[in-house]
Amino acid sequence: MTVFNRQVVRQHRDRAASNLTEHDFLFREVGTRLLDRLDDVIAKFPVAVDLGCRTGLLAELRDSQGGIESLYGCDLSERMMAHSAMSGAVADEEALPFADAALDLVISNLSLHWVNDLPGCMTQVRRALKPDGLFLATMFGGETLHELRAVLSEAEIAVQGGLSPRVSPFTDIRDAGALLQRAGFALPVVDTETITVSYSDPLKLLHDLRGMGEANAVMERRLTAMRRETMMMAMQLYMEKYAGDDGRVPATFQILTLSGWAPSPTQQQPLKPGQGETSLTKFLANDGD
Amino acid sequence: MPERKADPKLLEILVCPLTKGTLSYDAVNQELISERAGLAYPIRDGIPIMLPDEARPLSDDHTPAPFPGHQL
Repeated sequence: MTVFNRQVVRQHRDRAASNLTEHDFLFREVGTRLLDRLDDVIAKFPVAVDLGCRTGLLAELRDSQGGIESLYGCDLSERMMAHSAMSGAVADEEALPFADAALDLVISNLSLHWVNDLPGCMTQVRRALKPDGLFLATMFGGETLHELRAVLSEAEIAVQGGLSPRVSPFTDIRDAGALLQRAGFALPVVDTETITVSYSDPLKLLHDLRGMGEANAVMERRLTAMRRETMMMAMQLYMEKYAGDDGRVPATFQILTLSGWAPSPTQQQPLKPGQGETSLTKFLANDGD
Repeated sequence: MPERKADPKLLEILVCPLTKGTLSYDAVNQELISERAGLAYPIRDGIPIMLPDEARPLSDDHTPAPFPGHQL
């Protein structure tokens, strides 16, 4: 199923490339958290790829330690790659150009939410990893921008008498776990955290989203069809519904962190059924002790 | 700014995104050639552009010359 126009995703990233540093606070914050997690992993990663690297933020944030020897960047946007100091390639997450079992680590920071074929993308990542290679990614989860989504819907119904998708759909935490499993990752883990950003004006949020290269690729070509009136009303509703005592409005970002390992015989394995040594019946019978 | 060169270690792990087949490196024309897909992926400013819609189709009459020593 094609939800996102990848050409538009690419255009958004191309356009955002030169001024990204003015709007990348969220990428920075989440990227730092992602690298912190990587520091907790006791493993060496001779060859690593940052999938959707934009202008190379993770390479910039990571300190020299962390077990990575070579970190290559990979982004759909040539201008992002050109602005990056990283060595790497322009590539589409939906058709990865990496040989089987070539990589020790694939990291990705807030980029995979623009991929139509996530199962296909993750399967390709798993194949590109060596056995016992790690995939560690952050993604926007389903609660992301729920305020914006609600007010845009309400305003659009009121003004235009109809509804179109204005904020892109995000992956649900349950789906993310299933995706990892379906792609053949061992020891899949997904967890979630929420980051709330406070804005003096909801228009500033929209400005930031565009600056991040995150304007919605589902809606983009219909954005012109959104009447000014609708947008004004949505912004007004945003203030009315969500403004706190200080007059500022929140914008919620739900961050999913996904990790999984390319299967290897050296990993912990589940026992085959029938190998238990303690009878459950006996255990339950003794429960009263 | 000096022109960036493609990282040889990166070229070693790149394959054609369509066929996942091996690529040959044309250092003169700065292209990565996928015979099976019939495409030549450009390398611009040291960055391989691994997108099929940015690649040059190889015409039938032009079989890319072999590049001894550059077979990856």
